Amino acid sequence: MKQLMGGVRRRAVLVGGAVAALVVAGVGTWATDTWPFEGKDTYCWDAWKEDSGPDFLSGDALDGDNARRTSKETAPTPRRQRGRCTVALRSERTDSDYDKVEEETEITVTYGPAPEGAAPRMEWIGGYLGDRAMPLPDGLPGATDGRHALLVLPKGCDTRDGRPTAVTLDSTARSDYGDTTISADAGLGGSQSVARLLVAVANRAMEKAGCAPAKPLEVVSPMATLPEDEEDFFTRACRIRGLEFGKDAARDLEYQVGAVTRDLQSCSVRTQSGEGRYFDALMVSQPRLSALFDGATGSKAPARGWRGTGVFADDYKVVRADCAGRPLTVLMLAPSPHETTPYFAAFADAVARRVGCAPVAPGGTGR
Amino acid sequence: MNDSNDNERDQRDERDERVPLHERRRPWWHWRRVARSRPRLAVIMAVTGALVGALLGGAGVAWRAEAGPFADDRACWGALGQDDVAELFGGKRDIRTSEVPITTDRIGAEGPSGACRLTSPRGRRITVQAHQLDARFGGAGDRWADEFLSARLTPLGDGLLGMASDTRAWLAVPDGCIGRPSESDIDVGPTVIDLDTGWTVYDDEVDTEARDALARAVVKLVNHYMADQGCTGTIADPGRRMAGPPLFRDEKEDSMCGIKGLRLPAAFAHEGRGGAVVTRGDGPVRTCDRGVLFGHPGLRLMTIEDPRLAVLYDRLSRDGAKGRVSAGEQDGYGFVRDDMGLFQAECQTGQVTFLVRAEDGDHPGDIRTLLPRYVAAEADRIGCGPLRVTLPADG
Repeated sequence: MKQLMGGVRRRAVLVGGAVAALVVAGVGTWATDTWPFEGKDTYCWDAWKEDSGPDFLSGDALDGDNARRTSKETAPTPRRQRGRCTVALRSERTDSDYDKVEEETEITVTYGPAPEGAAPRMEWIGGYLGDRAMPLPDGLPGATDGRHALLVLPKGCDTRDGRPTAVTLDSTARSDYGDTTISADAGLGGSQSVARLLVAVANRAMEKAGCAPAKPLEVVSPMATLPEDEEDFFTRACRIRGLEFGKDAARDLEYQVGAVTRDLQSCSVRTQSGEGRYFDALMVSQPRLSALFDGATGSKAPARGWRGTGVFADDYKVVRADCAGRPLTVLMLAPSPHETTPYFAAFADAVARRVGCAPVAPGGTGR
Repeated sequence: MNDSNDNERDQRDERDERVPLHERRRPWWHWRRVARSRPRLAVIMAVTGALVGALLGGAGVAWRAEAGPFADDRACWGALGQDDVAELFGGKRDIRTSEVPITTDRIGAEGPSGACRLTSPRGRRITVQAHQLDARFGGAGDRWADEFLSARLTPLGDGLLGMASDTRAWLAVPDGCIGRPSESDIDVGPTVIDLDTGWTVYDDEVDTEARDALARAVVKLVNHYMADQGCTGTIADPGRRMAGPPLFRDEKEDSMCGIKGLRLPAAFAHEGRGGAVVTRGDGPVRTCDRGVLFGHPGLRLMTIEDPRLAVLYDRLSRDGAKGRVSAGEQDGYGFVRDDMGLFQAECQTGQVTFLVRAEDGDHPGDIRTLLPRYVAAEADRIGCGPLRVTLPADG
């Protein structure tokens, strides 16, 4: 036997055996979902792992018919400080009337600076910090309402022209019943969970972009406060003197108070059911959040008698003034048909007074 | 190689079979003697296997059932380990615990509730309660406030809705975990866990070490409750960020409770029951208690800034139709009567409670004098000014 088996054949048998053993072992580990075939997908630069918390990442989310989760991502690099990743979840189910319902959820994370143009930037800031957004825990410069979120990254990630870089998270979810489409819950698990998702993805993105701080950002504490409900029976919006509406005007309106802290305050007035905007008023005083406005608040007073610098444009009004050594920025987003300058002045002065600063608007004394 | 190995084995086998005396020289319990034959070995293996299996299985069951050596020795719903309990009792480890699990009644009308009691054989007791503060139907809100919002307590800081002293501590479960209390249930307060050491303290000085231990315990209890609810957040140890304990205030005549321009009424200056104690540190509540006896202040001035807690006084503020105070049209509600004055303001942050309360109605004039001035000064301090309340005509 030994003589019959030449050296070459013997080696071939050995190699073949080794390969076979590896394949068998590989199939075994794959079938049992153990390393390295864990069967767990990761998303957004490996920041999020399948089955790691919120519903939209869970295995159960794929239980429906034709369910699939897809993702696309472009990582930022040290040379290209922009990145984007999208996780989409699509499934079909049959409702109680045996009709087919298609469910679509999409989570998008963006890494990059705030929009450059002033008008889109104001909309962008208002969208993330206004309405029902509350500040992130542990003093992180950002906010979330559980569906959208924004985090301003440390100075090391600022663009070359000094603008801060931010990571944002957006979600959409809808159920398509064929004849109607209704919006649904994206399964992000609430503000507290969104804060964690956002910080995890921000840390990964900063690594890719080469500007990660020595110690990764971390969110440990819970969200202590969530926003109050919207209010549709009122004449004074957001309990702010000067934001008075006539009984008739207020009948179709509702207001929403968001954050009311030293760093951030918001008040939205809109037509009931939340569709039409009357105005969105925002105060930002947290230094890193404030930096988002840099270069877009003009170089002189926006009108006679205003303190600080500002711009009154068609779609927005913004003023920045010093408040006890910190810049206090007030913004009002409003479509042009309404005359909202008196409301803006009332808001600016009331908020300045609340945080203990001199009035910003002309002739302001009020609360 | 192979050949020599085989030879060795052969030799050993030969030895074993050919020298039984050698075997007999071993004591009877030697494994080689016991497992002399193959069937015997098999039986031994089977018995040993069964025993080991039974032991492992039993241990596993005990572990899962938390019985025997795996008994759960954690107190208060599993939130406090033995060391945590010992810390609350000056290092003593012979503390008995009993508890009622935290559950919610079937219609959810009263929120979750549960209780836990830690008892030392030397008589000291700590009662831990989980409950939703309730201002409905003359609920215990005001009595709870008497003890748990006393000036001896210091806010836990960091935006938390909670306070601690050396005899009391409380903390609301953060909104991020269980949601914000619904405003449609207007008299329902936050869900809190509180600790009560049950002693009446005659000393205004707060023992910081004991206070920090209670604060740590209440944070552990809330963290454990949050984890039970499937929430991810963890509140950090509050000890380091809390302000120092409250001090006796040396009041100047025109700055009662340290509030400039607020004159101390003569009747309260000469009660001879000690000076004023004022809450220290920024927080949801600032209280100034004076003449405290058996835990109840002779005169209390209190401001509750957090709307989730101020709701405790919401219903009360709309009572007392006789002595309504007036303010700006949408600035709030309130009343004044012989023993107390209350104004529930609508501030940018939400409802804020301003309370002036004496233990009896002996000095109605002083209450009337104090209320508008206290409201104006405190509203300015917390950024709710200007707020001017007008008293009803004396009658």
